Formats: sequence, C-alpha cells, structure tokens
Amino acid sequence: MVENARSINLAASLILILGIAYIVVPLYLTLTTASHSYEFMLQNGLVWSPGDQFIVNIKRIFTETWIPLQMLNSLVVAVGTATVMCILSFLTAYAIVYFRARWAGIVFALILATVILPLDMRFVTTYQVASNVFSPLNAILDVSGLNDLIATVFGAPFHVEWSILNTRVGLIAPLLAHGMGTFLFRQFFLTLPKDLLKAARMDGAGPIRFLFDILLPLSRTSFASLFVLIFLSGWTSYLWPLVASSTADTQTAVVGLARLIVEDSAVPDYPLIMAGAILVSIVPLTMIALLQRYLVQGLILSEK
Amino acid sequence: MNAIDPAIHIAAANIRLDGVSKSYGKLAVIPKLDVEFRAGEFTVVLGPSGCGKSTLMQMIAGLERVSGGKIVIGGREVQDLEPKERGCAMVFQNYALYPHMTVFDNIAYSLKIAGFTKIERRARVEVVAKMLGLTDYLERKPGQLSGGQRQRVAIGRAIVREPAVLLFDEPLSNLDAQLRHDTRIELAELHRRIGATTVFVTHDQVEAMTLADRILILNKGEVEQYGTPKEIYHRPASVFVAKFIGSPPMNILAVTGDGSILRLSDGQPVVKSDLKGDFQLGVRPEDITVGNPSLRSDIKAHVRYREDLGSHSIVAAELAGETVRIATPFGSDAPDFAVVSLAFPPDRLHLFDMQTGKAIPDALSAATKE
Repeated sequence: MVENARSINLAASLILILGIAYIVVPLYLTLTTASHSYEFMLQNGLVWSPGDQFIVNIKRIFTETWIPLQMLNSLVVAVGTATVMCILSFLTAYAIVYFRARWAGIVFALILATVILPLDMRFVTTYQVASNVFSPLNAILDVSGLNDLIATVFGAPFHVEWSILNTRVGLIAPLLAHGMGTFLFRQFFLTLPKDLLKAARMDGAGPIRFLFDILLPLSRTSFASLFVLIFLSGWTSYLWPLVASSTADTQTAVVGLARLIVEDSAVPDYPLIMAGAILVSIVPLTMIALLQRYLVQGLILSEK
Repeated sequence: MNAIDPAIHIAAANIRLDGVSKSYGKLAVIPKLDVEFRAGEFTVVLGPSGCGKSTLMQMIAGLERVSGGKIVIGGREVQDLEPKERGCAMVFQNYALYPHMTVFDNIAYSLKIAGFTKIERRARVEVVAKMLGLTDYLERKPGQLSGGQRQRVAIGRAIVREPAVLLFDEPLSNLDAQLRHDTRIELAELHRRIGATTVFVTHDQVEAMTLADRILILNKGEVEQYGTPKEIYHRPASVFVAKFIGSPPMNILAVTGDGSILRLSDGQPVVKSDLKGDFQLGVRPEDITVGNPSLRSDIKAHVRYREDLGSHSIVAAELAGETVRIATPFGSDAPDFAVVSLAFPPDRLHLFDMQTGKAIPDALSAATKE
C-alpha cells in the first residue's frame, strides 16, 4: 500500500477529476445555455461559449412564467416542513429519551420505520389519504361493519371527505412523516450527561423548564443542522409536490421548472428553462454556503 | 461540630427512613430499611456496586419513588414530595453541570427558579464562590474548567440553596488519585464549616474511613453494619464487613472448636476457647505477627509470594488450604522464608458464625480472660 502511494494518488486524482467533470460540465452548460436566446440555440444547439442574453432570460422568467410565485410556494413548503419537523422531532425525542414511557421503545421503532418506508414507497396510499383525509376512518367504518349499523340507525352511512390536494398543508404534511429528525435529536440527547435532568430537578426545574432552560439552548446546533437538511430536501422534493398539486399557482418551483417543457412543441425553450433552473438553485446554494458547518454536523449526527 | 460558617445558614436536619423499600417489578433492590442519619453528621453509605446505595440516595433526594415506607427529613414526611420541596441538594458523579451556562448561572439556577431577585442571587453566589475559591471563574463555562473546579462548581450549586441535607453520589470517582485526595480533605473541611447533614455514597473504603462520622454498610439492600469508622474497622459485625473494609482485607479462616481449643481445618491449634462447632475466624493482616519458624507453638504457613511495598511488605501464605495475607513491618530487606511461623494475638481475633457470617461478639475475649 505505502509503496504504491504515488500511483494510487494519481489514480484517485483521476477518478476525482472525472467525477468533478461529470457534475460540473452540465452545470457549466446550464450557465452557457441560459445566456443565449432561444433562436440562437435553435440554430447552434448546445453552445460552450457564454452569450449575452442571461439577464433577458431571467427577466422572461419573471414576466412569462409562474416560477417566482412557485419559488414562494417552495419557500413555504421548505420552511414549513423544516420548522414543523424541528419542533415535532425535538418534542418526540424529548419524550422518548427523558420520560420513562412504557411504550417508548415501540414508539421509537415505529418512528424509525418511517425511515425504512419513505414517502416514495407509500406513495399511492398517501395520495389516497391526501385526496380525502377521512378515508382511513371511512374505510375502518366500512370494514368493521359499523357503517351498516349507522346506516340502519341514521338512514345513511357515515362518510366525510376533506381533500388537502392543491393546498400548502397537503404539500407539507406528508413530508413531515419522517423519523430522521427524531433520530437525530435522540442521538444528540443521549450524548448529554445523563444526570442533567436529575440535576435540574434537584434545582427545582420541572419538565417544561428543563426543556426550555437546558435542552433547548443545548440543542441549537442540532436544530440548525436539521433545519438545513429538511429545508434542502423540502426545496428539492419533486415527486410528492408533482402529484399533490395540479394547478400552476400551487406547484413548487422544481415542479414548475419541469412543466416549462411543453410537450407538444418541437424544441423546448432551453435557455428559459436553464435560467429558471439557475434562479431556483440560488436559494439552496446560498443556504449551503452560509450554513455549511451545520449541514456537515447534521450529516455526521444522523449517521451515528 | 466546629464553628459553622456564618455566611451560610444551614439548618441541618436529621433523616429517618422508616421501613423504606424499593423494587423494580419483582426485583427488590431494597427490601426494608430502617436507618436514621443524624443531623449535622457526615454519613457515608458504603457498599459494592448493585447494593442499592445509589437507589437509596435517589429516594432521599426524591428522584426515585419509594415502593413502601416513610422518609422523614427534619420531622417532615417527604416521600411523596417533589425533590425541590425536600430541602435536599445533590452532587452528581459526573457533576451534571449545565454546559451552556456560566459558572455563575450554574450556581444561581436554583435560586432563579426559587424566585430570588438578581441582587440576592449575586450576593449568595459570591459567598459560595468565595468559600470554594471560584470567584475568578464565575464567567467561565464548565467546559473551560478542570475536573476539580467542575467538582467545586457542583458543590457550590448544591450548597447555595443552604439545604438541610447534602447528598453526594460518588462525587470523587471521576478524579485522579491526587485530586481525589485533595478533594477529600476539602470536603471534610467544608463539612466542618457548613455543618449540613451529609450523606455520601461511595464504594471506596478509603473515602468512607477518612470522611465519615458514621458509615452505613449496605449489602443487597440491607444494612450490614452502621457505626463509626472505628467500630466498623475494629468490630466488624459480619464477614461481609470484615472483608469489605481494610486493605488487604481481613483473613477469614474456617475453624472448629472441640470445647477447649479452636483448630484450623488442618488441625493446627489457633486459640483457646470453650466453644464447640464450626466457625469463621477473622484476623487482620496487620494483627498477625510473623515469628521465627523454629518456635514450636506457632502456626506454620507456606509462603506463596511477597509484595514488597517499600515501607512494609504483604506476605501471602498458604494456611490450611487457604491464602492468608500478612502485613509485615519488614521493608525490602525482609528475610526470604519458605515457611513462616505465625502468631495470632487472641485479643485481636474475630469470630463469625459459620452459616450467617454474623459476628459472635466477645466470644474469644471472654475465653482468653479466664
């Protein structure tokens, strides 16, 4: 191993350079394409040199597409999921770690199951529930025969409908059902001195005071990490927003980008799409640039 | 009690445990305990791990509920009260300081919860900090302190509330040997100054012997012996206590009495006694004298190995199929015998029941006096 260090270094560098090229070249092409006009692209195809139409294309995004509004939707979804998930995960982890709940182990296992069974696997059923939040209740009443009873007593079976499709709640809620945050906070709590709660109790602090005075200030980094992770995944999530909202004004930016390809037209307006892609990427890029430290910490914590 | 520090006004209270028991499911950690910790005394609860000593302390503190019985602190039944209502303060093994708070905030936190004003808090914390030599560190975070300083912050956090009862849960076990020694002395001095009723849990017999006014030895949740360090050392109530205290521990040998003399299992006579039957005989390593092997009346033992400690040496010898440890006054230049002749002084022997292991008091001293 040691003798071959130089050749291994060379090979490793080559592989790395290839990998970087694989990622960077499309990004570069995105930039160059976004800086040409549609007509220029139609005549010349993919162009490697930058053009002068970038500002024009960006302006077109603002005037001709839903992307700005959809970015606002994305922001609501990303911030919403991140915020709610942080609060939920913090509280569930608090309950699991610090309370001697009888079923804590089983509850934690169920929460972890959401990591093993992510949204993509529960897609169809999640869609069914989102299209009618009460469908599980209706189904239980039907299957258990209770509805027959209700029908004979009240004259009609029990059946309610509430669709959250095309709403922001509908976009956010299914994304929340993920145990990673709980897991992350749990791991963090377990690294704290285990007598901390006892010490706080001896000092006269109840569970709520302990939560706010001790646990919350200690968890700031974990909050930041989780927030960044969830924000990024919320911003870039595609599959669920694609089916959960069908109107342009409720869709998220990533879905909106894909919809810029009008299926009938021969050649899509790639410069416009690429300009949109750049615009949409700016938010997560800024986030990563500013909060890189927390992102790395979060990844390390969640893998422990 | 010496002069109590006027800056800290602790009204020491006694603690009485009336038939206290604790069980987790079917497992009884403490079957039934009746003990009184006297007001102002430094009591050390000593026992091997798993003997229920930490559970006992947490029950006094209110961190664990009792399964049965009563805990009375200063005449007030507290077993159903929250920790903060009991007037106890506790120092934890790993200190459990709040990592994000400064030393000042750590110490002042309980005062803040109790509703003290900012001025009162500052005044009280400053008194405590001065007493513990922490004045220069008040604005630091626990992470910037050494182990000994963290320990002092933990103690400061406990005494700032002027508790009637001060509880220590193995507080020295995280310190290195030298610091442990220093802190032990500091703790003893602190106790003299503030005079709070102190309960100190440990498995370290040296801490118990040096710190305690009174030692409570627990074994499987039951009291083996409760007395002053002197009593515990010189008059152990059972084989368990005899083996637990002292380094190296007391030698325990099986003996049989025929009505006139007690003999070892190999027939060698040990001491005159009119007792009949099987007993366990205890003798401390430092009470055995090593004599000239040519003395015919003495007990002969084969030396297996010698540990030379410079000032003295510990000889392990085989006697009647068992290993006996003898602390000899000889230093490094001790003669290297293969066989040693041992003398057991009759007034320093301890006799225990064969089955129960309980001490049979005065059994031998009575016989030797006749």
